[in-house]
Order: sequence, then structure tokens, then C-alpha cells
Amino acid sequence: MSILRKGRRNSEEDTELNMIPIMNIFLVIIPFLLTSVSFFHIKAISTSVPVMADSTQVSAVPEKTKMTVIVEMLKGEMRLSATAEELDMEKLSQFEQVIKLQTTGVYPLMKLNEYLQSVKRTYPASDTLILIPDEAVRYDSIIQAMDAARNFNEQPLFPNVVLSGSLG
Amino acid sequence: MPFGNLRARNKKLVPPKLMITSMMDMFTIILIFLLFQFSEKPENIHMLEDIELPQSTAKMDHTETIKLVLTQKGLHINNDLIAGVRKGKVIGLDPQNPKASVLYQLLEKEYAKTVQKSDAKQPKEHILLLCDKRHSFKTINDIVKTAALAGYPNFQFGVLKE
Repeated sequence: MSILRKGRRNSEEDTELNMIPIMNIFLVIIPFLLTSVSFFHIKAISTSVPVMADSTQVSAVPEKTKMTVIVEMLKGEMRLSATAEELDMEKLSQFEQVIKLQTTGVYPLMKLNEYLQSVKRTYPASDTLILIPDEAVRYDSIIQAMDAARNFNEQPLFPNVVLSGSLG
Repeated sequence: MPFGNLRARNKKLVPPKLMITSMMDMFTIILIFLLFQFSEKPENIHMLEDIELPQSTAKMDHTETIKLVLTQKGLHINNDLIAGVRKGKVIGLDPQNPKASVLYQLLEKEYAKTVQKSDAKQPKEHILLLCDKRHSFKTINDIVKTAALAGYPNFQFGVLKE
């Protein structure tokens, strides 16, 4: 009986896994990964600045009219307008809007988004927006405006945002 | 006598067994999490301390070519400090004469190299601009215009994923 018990005890001890080497490996891998892991996920917004270019051919089909929206971010207001080579001044003047800022430095991006949606509904081929911020406008506000211009509920609005300085 | 007592006590002492199973579980979870984080994007952006990137809904990954970093204190190009920033103005960058700035000269050199390599008249390269969110448009505009003048009109603004 005693021999049997000893044998059983030995076999029980043999089945225990030696976890120490695995633990050692983990202890080496985890600090290595922790030092090289990135907790900030950096994404990018594509933009461009106006450059001299050859004039492109203008499409005569109204459905394909590409409206270019101009958003001026001024100190106390946001001026919205649109331009298209195919449309006359009377039609273009319908798209002119001035949105006053309720709080200094906080731009009404929801209203901008609504305006852009209405333009997109009328001229679905439109995809370019020229953003003209005032010199004092913070970079953060510019990025927020770009976000509002690019899409609405995962639907693309004006994905091509051109950043420009004011000429005045 | 006291030694004898100690010996007798030591005989009774059973070496404590560490319960490392739970620790192993924890380590395995951490390891898997870290491995996923590691494999998501093999990017390595050296972030400086005095920079606060704006948050955005952007989902596009950046494709790094030339990296410009504008912090509160300085302007860096590919991790090298090229100019200081004081009161929102890049030192040595005159908006009236941008071609005299170090930024223009470095970018022009880079552009010439790229043109030689790619055999194209206008290489489709862009600049990844990591800029502190507190900067005004005036500061950014000076840099952006100088870069465009040097042959880089296309930019990618680096932002933090919301």
C-alpha cells in the first residue's frame, strides 16, 4: 500500500508543468512590446494649397456641374459662397450665406455641414471646398472645419479641401 | 534550546507554492493585446513633448515622405530642428522672402533629389505636417506657402484619431 501511494505521489508531481521558463519569456517580451507600442493612432487629412495650373475643360452637362464651395473663417463670422464656371452670378448668389459666431472662436460647424449638404444635394458632383481661415484662427478650428466639410454620417461631402490664405 | 526549536519548526515548514496560473492568464492577455497593437501599423513617429495634435474623425493612414513637425518651440524637418518658434512666428522665415529661409532651401534640395530619382517633372510627393493645435493659421500658412513654393503643394495634416 505504501509503495503504491509513493508511486501515485511521484506521478502527480511529474504532471505539474514548469511554468517558470514561460514566465521568463513573457517577462522579456512584454517590456519590449510596451516600449515599442504606439498608444496614439495618428491619422492624416489630405489637403493642398492653390497652385498655378492649366485650365481644364468645363463640362456642359448640368448634372455634372462641379460647384466649388468657399468657406471664409473670419473673426466674428463665417462667410459661405460657391463658384462654378457653368453657372451665372444670379444662381451663385443664392449660395451666399453669412453665419455669425455665437461664441468667440467657436465656429458653427453644424450649420456649415447643413449648408454643404444642401449644395451637395443640388450639385452631387461637387467635391472641392476652399477653406480660407483668418490669420488668427487656431489650427484646431481649421481641422474641425475640415472634418465637417469632408463627410456627414460616413457620406462624403467635400473630400477635397484646399487650404488658402486670404488675399486681402 | 532555541536553535533546537527552530530546527523543529523548519521541518514543519512547507515551501510555499506560487499560484502562477492566474498570472500566466494575465500575461497572455497583455501579450495578445500588445501584439495586436504592434501589428496594426508599423509606424514609428517620433513625437516631441511640446506638441498637442488636434483630434479628428479622419480615417486615412498617413504615407510618410517628408515630415514637418511644428511644435510650440520649434520647426523640425525629419526630426532635425531647423528653426525656432517665438510668439507664433517661425524665426528666419520671412513671408515676404520665403526663399531665403532654411525650410525652403532644405525642401528644394529634397525636391531636386526626388525629381532625379523618379524621373518625373513633378513628383507626386507630399509633406506630412504634424502641427500643434494651438498655433494660428498665420504660422501654418507661412510654412505651407514656403513648402508649396519649394514644390510641395500637397499636404497631409497629422491628427489624432478621435
